Amino acid sequence: MALLEIKNLHASVAGKEILKGITLALEPGEVHAIMGPNGTGKSTLSNVIAGREGYEVTKGEVYLDGKDVLDMAADERARAGIFLAFQYPVEIPGVTTSAFLKTALNAKRRAAGQPEIDAMDFLKLVKAKTAVLGMPYDMIKRPLNVGFSGGEKKRAEVLQMTMLEPRVAILDETDSGLDIDALKVVSEGVNSLRSPERAFLVITHYQRLLDYIVPDHVHVLANGRIAASGGKELALELEAEGYAKYLNTAA
Amino acid sequence: MKPSLIIDHSFGEAYAKRLGVAPWRGNLPGPKLEEWRFTPLRSLAKIAFTPATDDVSVDAVPRAVPLIAGAVRLVLVNGAYRKDLSSADPGKGVELSHGKVAAKDGSSLVALNAAYAPSSLALHVAGAAKKIVHIVSISAAGSEPTALHPRITVTAEAGSSVTLVESHVGLPGETYFSNPVASITVGEGATVRRYVSVDEDSAAFHLATSLVKVAGGGTYEAFHLGLGGALTRQEIRVALTGENANVRLNGAYALSGASHHDFTTVMDHIVPNCASSQVFKGVVDGESHGVYQGRIHVARDAQKTDARQVHKALFLARGPAIDCKPELEIYADDVQCAHGAATGEIDPDHLFYLAARGIDAETARSLLVEGFLADAVNEISAEPVREQFAADIARWLKARQ
Repeated sequence: MALLEIKNLHASVAGKEILKGITLALEPGEVHAIMGPNGTGKSTLSNVIAGREGYEVTKGEVYLDGKDVLDMAADERARAGIFLAFQYPVEIPGVTTSAFLKTALNAKRRAAGQPEIDAMDFLKLVKAKTAVLGMPYDMIKRPLNVGFSGGEKKRAEVLQMTMLEPRVAILDETDSGLDIDALKVVSEGVNSLRSPERAFLVITHYQRLLDYIVPDHVHVLANGRIAASGGKELALELEAEGYAKYLNTAA
Repeated sequence: MKPSLIIDHSFGEAYAKRLGVAPWRGNLPGPKLEEWRFTPLRSLAKIAFTPATDDVSVDAVPRAVPLIAGAVRLVLVNGAYRKDLSSADPGKGVELSHGKVAAKDGSSLVALNAAYAPSSLALHVAGAAKKIVHIVSISAAGSEPTALHPRITVTAEAGSSVTLVESHVGLPGETYFSNPVASITVGEGATVRRYVSVDEDSAAFHLATSLVKVAGGGTYEAFHLGLGGALTRQEIRVALTGENANVRLNGAYALSGASHHDFTTVMDHIVPNCASSQVFKGVVDGESHGVYQGRIHVARDAQKTDARQVHKALFLARGPAIDCKPELEIYADDVQCAHGAATGEIDPDHLFYLAARGIDAETARSLLVEGFLADAVNEISAEPVREQFAADIARWLKARQ
């Protein structure tokens, strides 16, 4: 059984159909990349899987470990193991990164029937994880994402991912707004989480990110459908030739 | 009969007779007074209050009143000082005394307080007070609606410093009306930090007046928290009377049910080179009503004044109302004055972000509300008090769920 299974998924935003039948299966340990031009539904796909309001699923199914994901509220999905790394992480004034991380971690632990994390253990954990990501530990005292640079925000997303240890991580244009150094650090963070039990869905416009996070499968999303699938060499081909031929075929 | 005043109230002859004092001849403020437009006292005026008497036995401070680390406690029950419930020694640098309240000019509520206050709890500060002084004002109604008029006077001598906390709480029982007045004098170069928490019973009335004077080079830092009561008003009037005085006046309110809370501030810049700032934030739920009226007055001579004020409110439901009225009266021409006001709802993008990390909707809302109020609460420079007030807000949020 696939870890994340998407079957013939159709979804609309404000009455307009954006996803027109997506079928994908992520096996444990796999990294799938979804590439495509702007406005073809890449972000819609990630938002629908994560459970954002305002997206109407008109047809199709999504399963995590065989459990119906579309039946769950967004927070339940997250506790079940779906993690969305945001393209634009929101700034939340007044809420410290530390308070946020602890609340999120404890929500997951409670759902798993575990006791809340001890304050000292929590600080130790954060210290270790921030060190791995080359982040200053003091960052967790700052309000969540407020005044963070683009690179810091993406690092903070990866920090959250390493703390919450999801089953399936969706990276929505994680490379946008990153310089090459930040891209390397963020990619290393993601790679360190690759494991036989976990799958990744890496959504990107550019091939560059896939030099660092090497995918097992690459899919081209065009006009709300998977227009082509292949191995990592497909990404290089797209980089060289562009998306034009898929857009034409689909139209 | 003056149309702007309510005269149908219970604080006349009969009330005075029970206390054995001369009756108050004044009137409660009415809705036609501009300063009281958003806070009508009709519901208060309908109740026949009797004076607080000694027949209510209070033998302990309610558990809800926090213990502030390293603080001495001074306890008032129905406005009267209770030595038996208070710390033996107010700490180095602070002297306590009790005296008759002198009738003073001022609003009618101040005059009402002066007429019926049992005595004033007076703190005289010389040098640096070692300990935080925690004043606990307990309202205890008997079997009848009860009115009480606590009076606090603080005189901080030149160069002295002190940190005060006030907790205003009530015991369960009949409704009550607490009408506290605090007179604070900050001497030259002195520093007074004052943190007031009003968490009255949900059926209670609390109309508090703070009269503050800050002399040259003096610093007054205050934070007022409003969490409960049927009708609460915290009116704070500050006069900056000497050059280089610095005032930071901040506050927060969190209202649910049918609670009404009013912050009315008057910042009076009389002399040059003074600074004042105000940060007020509120969250409103249920059918509650929040009011912020902030007047900044800058006299013609008060050049180089720096006066700022901001009020922001967050709606947790569609039922509540907010009235916000900033007023800048500026007669000097070389000043910096700014005010801002905003109201809004919780951002759905924030909620989704927290949900995407597994945080359920109620917890997410609480986290966001605490975060919203944190701007104001973080202005509290005394750490144990800041933590306590943050915890009080967290408790309010928990009770709301």
